[in-house]
Amino acid sequence: MNDQSNWIQQAVRRSPLEGQQQIFALVALALFMAVIIGALYLTNVADTSTTGRELEALVAERARLEQTNEQLRIEIAQLRSVPRLIARAEEMGFRQAAGSEVEYLVVQGYRPPQPLTVAPVEEGQDNDNLPLYDETFMGWLQQQADGLSRQFQNFNETYGAR
Amino acid sequence: MVAPYERHQRTTQQDSLRQRLPVVIGLIVVAALYLLIRLITFQYQPTFVTSYYDRLANLNYTDNERVASSRGVVYDRHGNPLASNTFDYEIGVSPSLIADAQGASTRLASALSDYGVTEVEVLNAVRSDSPWISLANPVPPDVAQEVREMDLLGVVIDSRPKRLYPQGTLGAQLLGFVAGDETSLQPFRGYNGVEGYYENELAGRVRDQTTSLIPFDLPTQRAATDRGSDLVLTIDRDIQFLVESELQFSIAESGATGGTVIVMQPRTGEILAMASQPSYDPNAFFEINDPELLKNPAISNEYEPGSVMKVLTMAAALDIAAVAPEDTYVDNGVLEVGGISVYNSDRRARGVVNMEQVLVQSLNVGATYLSLQMGPNDFYTKMDDFGIGRATGIDLEGEAIGTMYTPGDENWSESNLATNSFGQGVAVTPLQMITAVSALANDGLIMQPHIVHQFVDGSRVYPSQPSTLKRAVSRETAELVTQMMVQTVEEGVPAAQVPGYTVAGKTGTAEIPTPLGYEPDSSIVTFVGFFPADDPQAAVLVKLDRPAGYWGSVVAAPMFARLAQQLVILMEIPNDDIRRGLQAEGGSVNDVWSQN
Repeated sequence: MNDQSNWIQQAVRRSPLEGQQQIFALVALALFMAVIIGALYLTNVADTSTTGRELEALVAERARLEQTNEQLRIEIAQLRSVPRLIARAEEMGFRQAAGSEVEYLVVQGYRPPQPLTVAPVEEGQDNDNLPLYDETFMGWLQQQADGLSRQFQNFNETYGAR
Repeated sequence: MVAPYERHQRTTQQDSLRQRLPVVIGLIVVAALYLLIRLITFQYQPTFVTSYYDRLANLNYTDNERVASSRGVVYDRHGNPLASNTFDYEIGVSPSLIADAQGASTRLASALSDYGVTEVEVLNAVRSDSPWISLANPVPPDVAQEVREMDLLGVVIDSRPKRLYPQGTLGAQLLGFVAGDETSLQPFRGYNGVEGYYENELAGRVRDQTTSLIPFDLPTQRAATDRGSDLVLTIDRDIQFLVESELQFSIAESGATGGTVIVMQPRTGEILAMASQPSYDPNAFFEINDPELLKNPAISNEYEPGSVMKVLTMAAALDIAAVAPEDTYVDNGVLEVGGISVYNSDRRARGVVNMEQVLVQSLNVGATYLSLQMGPNDFYTKMDDFGIGRATGIDLEGEAIGTMYTPGDENWSESNLATNSFGQGVAVTPLQMITAVSALANDGLIMQPHIVHQFVDGSRVYPSQPSTLKRAVSRETAELVTQMMVQTVEEGVPAAQVPGYTVAGKTGTAEIPTPLGYEPDSSIVTFVGFFPADDPQAAVLVKLDRPAGYWGSVVAAPMFARLAQQLVILMEIPNDDIRRGLQAEGGSVNDVWSQN
């Protein structure tokens, strides 16, 4: 018993340099942790920043493509203008029909063409049903909670009705 | 060893330090406490103070940008764009960012040479100390794309939104135009026509958008709801083109100074085409020196309608039973009313004349007889029912209300009752006249004329519904007068006939009033008609100003016939025999034009 207590005392005995070493170790540990946290922070910020830049580039690209689309729509409209269509039809050997040359037939079940309804797709419409998250801790929590909720809902739908 | 003196001196210094140190520490503690208290109280400032500091802080890391919305597109009823948006571009350089000045200058100059930009100019710009220099403005999209593909660092391409009318001059006056507006938040404003009337709907909303300057903040999403609404018009592009071509041809052929044509669906009030000459190119409206040319004469120019008015006078008289269809009167060729003598246009007497012949022969004396039979109260009440002297309320900017003096007005006298009955001393717009005559084609109901078929706001579509303004005359009266108008075309104006189709119509030839009387040897000729008379699908008004041939029956009626012959093809209206045969077989015709 005595030997055992001696061994324990030996093991936990304070060495002469113990105080300084502990302080040094703690400071080193703190520095190490700070470096690790700083590195993680910098990595995260760099990632976010890069993503932001990429998004900006994509937004700019989208704007440019929208402008190009507008321009193409204009070109199509100009190509389909009446004077050009008439000229093209004449080039192809067509001519304007006289009233007496037009024949009318009854086609059962045929509905004459109706005026068009022009309804362009609204910008951002594709994303309307996506949940919105931000890059905060609460946003991450919300994301996890929603994920769990979806899993629970799927489980209920699969097995709940039985 | 330390000398006693030195030891004494050190002791004294230490004593002094011991005495002063608490004072210094005390002062530091007090200062720290003060700062601490200030720091704590600073967190609880009044709202106006905190918002002030918030603003100051935001200025440092945010950028406010005023984002103008994209203007709505205007389509015809079949989805062809009539007014759309495009961009012009400005090419500039930021000299400090350009590494290879010579190479960049050579490439830029080759792309911009068509815009008067030389290589020397580009080189001078690139070597200058300015932060930014514009090289060419505006340049079209293809040139901007060429420069963009060069991928030169330091070359800046800025886009500038621009309204474009891809059909050129087609429908210019009814569309209006868009010009810069320095008084508004929006960069543009619509003027005249659809662009002016629907400015709020087309323009959308201006939004102030705040963008973070912090690199790792994600870019904010632009709201999609700011875009202006699209408009689908009742106008048919092909009919509009036909009408404009025919109008230009007729003006050239007749030597007229101008003219107007309106095609309306009488059952719904939809305007299928509306054109006037002279016109302009809305893409280059700024080249027009006379602002009158930018107006739409079909709704803003008043004129004396002449004999077309007799149709309304006849309908009014029959409707209130002032006369019966089988009634007759004795036409002496002249009638004295209110101190003036009313003559027939050829100054000839007709003897005993029935009501139908009043229209067929276009007798001024007959129309005056009808107005006298009605009396001023009934006559002007019925004219008001037809919408004469009041705006139709069409959804276009710049409509005039016309002029019709009534009993009680300073300018009215008894002679007005006579002259108004055959279309003198009263001024209408072409739209008012076709709207009134369309009531006869629509069982006596006046329809609200309108130009917009649908609003498209994002994914929502709002169709416009035809609406009845009022009943002008009974259905029976409308049918009676329609028959008289058919007879008028068949017997009186054969030039207006369309082979195979029954046309109801009436010509008008009116003198042009001036402050000193009427212009000699000048007239405004019109023809208003609709077809097929038993199932009207289109009402058409043609009007020519100061043609060489003085009479409506000589100039306007043939023009109407030419136009109608093409319209029946475009509108897929079979001739009467085929149409009745098809209907007997259960065929459905003209659904496109009667449905909404």
